[in-house]
Amino acid sequence: MNIVTRKLLAKELYVNRGFLVMGSAAGIISTLIATLGKTGLNIGSLMWLTTIIAIGVMLGIYGIMHERKEHTLEFVLSLPVSIAEYVRAKVLGLWICFFIVWLASSVAALLLIFLKDSIPDGIAAYTVLLCFFMLANYGVVLCGMLEARSEAASTGIIVVTNMGISVFMFTVAPLAGIQNTMWGSTPVWNATFWTVLGCELAVLLITFTLPFLLAARRRDFF
Amino acid sequence: MDNKHIEMRGVRKNFQFFTLDNLSLDLEAGEVMGFVGPNGAGKSTTLRLAMGMIAPDAGEIRLMGHAIPAAQAAAKRDVGYVSADMRLLPQATFGWHMDFMKSIYPEWDGSYAATLVKRFNLRPEQNARSLSLGERVKAVLLLALARRPRLLILDEPTTGLDPVARHEVISEFMDVLQDDGRSILFSSHNTVDVERISDRITFIDRGRIVESSNKEDFLDRWRRIHVQLPAGASLPELPNIVGRVIDGQFVTLTTDRYCEGLRALIGPHVREVQRMNLEEIFVANVMHHREVRGS
Repeated sequence: MNIVTRKLLAKELYVNRGFLVMGSAAGIISTLIATLGKTGLNIGSLMWLTTIIAIGVMLGIYGIMHERKEHTLEFVLSLPVSIAEYVRAKVLGLWICFFIVWLASSVAALLLIFLKDSIPDGIAAYTVLLCFFMLANYGVVLCGMLEARSEAASTGIIVVTNMGISVFMFTVAPLAGIQNTMWGSTPVWNATFWTVLGCELAVLLITFTLPFLLAARRRDFF
Repeated sequence: MDNKHIEMRGVRKNFQFFTLDNLSLDLEAGEVMGFVGPNGAGKSTTLRLAMGMIAPDAGEIRLMGHAIPAAQAAAKRDVGYVSADMRLLPQATFGWHMDFMKSIYPEWDGSYAATLVKRFNLRPEQNARSLSLGERVKAVLLLALARRPRLLILDEPTTGLDPVARHEVISEFMDVLQDDGRSILFSSHNTVDVERISDRITFIDRGRIVESSNKEDFLDRWRRIHVQLPAGASLPELPNIVGRVIDGQFVTLTTDRYCEGLRALIGPHVREVQRMNLEEIFVANVMHHREVRGS
């Protein structure tokens, strides 16, 4: 990675510093709220989910869509950088930004599960799957928005991926291998868990790799 | 050694409703080219092609001797690009942008940057989001100039600026030109600015180069000839006439190849021969080429 790519990557962390701090704080605070009884758990869980989804969407909107719309992309592309190097810096930068918030929120949620007696540890397996789903979902958002040529297409990607979270919750939670162990006292890492996680990791790998194969080879980036 | 800063040969770029066709352009080191065309003529597209932001469908582009878009990273190291539309990162201050450029370009001239900050009355601590149009253009220009590029590509940099800001910006270009090895490609539809700094002018219209020549050559060749014909008289067949307006016995001819021989051909009916400014030449040239192309 050359110096300009490194500087562009650092630029992503700098310009998104507000999202990083606020997102990580909101993720941790929402898990603290979840410790405050049943209502707190409901509100905290909702806040936790919303935080991770919103940060992913915000990074896509401000990091990709607004860069094009507000012509800051023109400034970035005037630097001594190729399209492939720009895409590399952009993808890595936005992934790191999201990963920090995701990691803080996920670790906080798992700590809550294992430290709070009133929450069964069995739900940890489902929580891990949910966390990785949101990571893969962000991969789809990022990959789609880098490919999208219009604001409408980008908005469509955001809507579809947001709906994907609900679809995940309604389809994975009722799976026998998940449902039967979810409320147990210990987490069960069974075949269902590994299959779902495998699918999520596959999506993650594909959506992480695709921009380097597609967007980086685009002839017109403006 | 190849002394061309920009070379474009037979470049073609198709969009849904616009085609840039068979575009060829050369910019020598030390040359200032005014790239003039009406709105939507293809000026910005041409400059973005030169910068590798978009790739041509056909033809060849070289920037600072490097093939574009393949070697754009190496080529752009010595190129400063400024566009009227360009925005700085809204989440960062102007000072952050200067530090950012300094970290990328080893040739960043800090004392020149400080001089320009004062001259342009910019405040490094100001957030890029809060810069006015004039401040924004001057800020972007400063970031391009302070790294002392050998080539400046300027896409309508004075558009929307008030006369004072425009004067400041143009004066800075004139300073750049003190160095013979540096060149400027300056796109605008403001012919006054172009006439002031350019030594070569290229006209573009509807995606095609209309004409490219030295500024002095344009100003020397183009004339308006006012003729008053006596009743019943008519003009002889005249060469190199690109425009003709008849109002009763008064005829105004526009020529792109004026010579005393032409005046002699018209005879004693010539009332006045007028020099044309660049704007008049630009309009007459574009209208003539549209007529020739049958649109």
